[in-house]
Amino acid sequence: MILVAALHAATYTPDNLPIPYLQDKTQYVSNPDGILSQSAVDSLNLWLGEMETAHGVQTVLAVVERIEGGDTYEFCMALGRKYGIGSKEQNTGLIILLSTGDRAYYILTGRGLEGTLPDAICKRIENHQMLPALREGDWDEAMLATVRAITHYADGDPSLVGSSDFEDDDDTAALIAFLICMALGVGSICFAIWLDQRKKSYCPSCHQHKMKKISSRTTKNKRLGLITHHDTYRCTHCYFTKELHWDEDIHNGTGAAAAGGALGGSFFGGGGSSFSGGHFGGGSFGGGGAGGRF
Amino acid sequence: MKTLKSILLAIMATFALTSCTYNKLVEEEETVNQKWADVQTQYQRRADLIPNLVNTVKGYAAHESETLEAVVAARTKATQITIDPSNATPEQIAAFQEAQGEVSQALGRLLAITEAYPDLKANEQFSELQAQLEGTENRIAESRRLYNEAVQTYNVSVRKFPNNIWAMIFSFEKKTPFAAEAGAEKAPEVQF
Repeated sequence: MILVAALHAATYTPDNLPIPYLQDKTQYVSNPDGILSQSAVDSLNLWLGEMETAHGVQTVLAVVERIEGGDTYEFCMALGRKYGIGSKEQNTGLIILLSTGDRAYYILTGRGLEGTLPDAICKRIENHQMLPALREGDWDEAMLATVRAITHYADGDPSLVGSSDFEDDDDTAALIAFLICMALGVGSICFAIWLDQRKKSYCPSCHQHKMKKISSRTTKNKRLGLITHHDTYRCTHCYFTKELHWDEDIHNGTGAAAAGGALGGSFFGGGGSSFSGGHFGGGSFGGGGAGGRF
Repeated sequence: MKTLKSILLAIMATFALTSCTYNKLVEEEETVNQKWADVQTQYQRRADLIPNLVNTVKGYAAHESETLEAVVAARTKATQITIDPSNATPEQIAAFQEAQGEVSQALGRLLAITEAYPDLKANEQFSELQAQLEGTENRIAESRRLYNEAVQTYNVSVRKFPNNIWAMIFSFEKKTPFAAEAGAEKAPEVQF
């Protein structure tokens, strides 16, 4: 019973594998058991970051002691399905998995990456770059050589579009959000003015909005610092007449516009926050790639 | 006047509901058709790999001709069956599945005998072909899974009330998913 529990503790499932990328978009490597050295992890993160920027290939590289069931292909597919690694437009997600305890590995390619990295090429990379180091137990070199080779193939494919385009998408979204806020702000001002006009045009006698301003005069009171407006309205429907008096500070404008400005301003605050965590684009995997045991 | 108005309203509501249901059924049926096309593409991909694989193995294990011929024969039989998903009967699907299952079995036997030829196993071209074959088997399994999902969604829509009435009027029929096969559709296990 204790043995089972101990074994289970070091076993990962697609659901409990930590994905550091989600918290920090420069961290592509998941190394929960500390199998890779820190310097190897740093190099891999750097190279994989360059590959995402230049070619839009979004990678998760995981090195673990053991996975549940020991089937690397099923593990990678489940991981891909869960997170949707890779952009939705290009489908260029990539999962590299090494399970040292199961002595098994897999390179899983997203649907859009099957042309750049066909199964045979994945196999060739594994046979030539990964396997020799794995047989010597040099996990660092196995992963470094693999990613180096994959970068080489990605560099050679001009059809891959860099992720800077997708960052532009974020900018576009921010711009749209800004414009919506602007429209809301302007809209609320217009609405406030319209509401004001409508209130003034209401006739208390026939309950219709047919009051029209027929005369207007102002009186100044310098002692109180006020300008008093005397507006006379007459209903065009029933000829009911009413007089409206309203005060204005000599130095300030009217109140309605100020309220609209404040409302618009409160919307702007929401737009400009930035995220340091990465997000996966919803790419799909059709089962391409290759794996093996050592 | 009032009754006339309510009758008109009822007719309009019915039409609105019908067009909505009808469009949904059309969309879901199209998804099924598209997923079926994906399945066929993947099977075709496997069929395209077979001549190359057979030729490579032949170079090292010429006297295993019986196994090699079995693969070629199964492939020929399977590629003759193509199905139009819009009017496929359950029997046709079953026949397609059986023919492809025979290819899988023949391939499994072929890969099993290659274990006895160390030279062949060390051949790089063979190793890569094998990887392609495995990848294709995985793709077949994945596309079949997605097809079955689409069929399930569609079948649920067709059978639900009140959709079933419109499905009957516009003759949307239940579709057949792939049945799980005992071992036959398992990707050939290859040890290194």
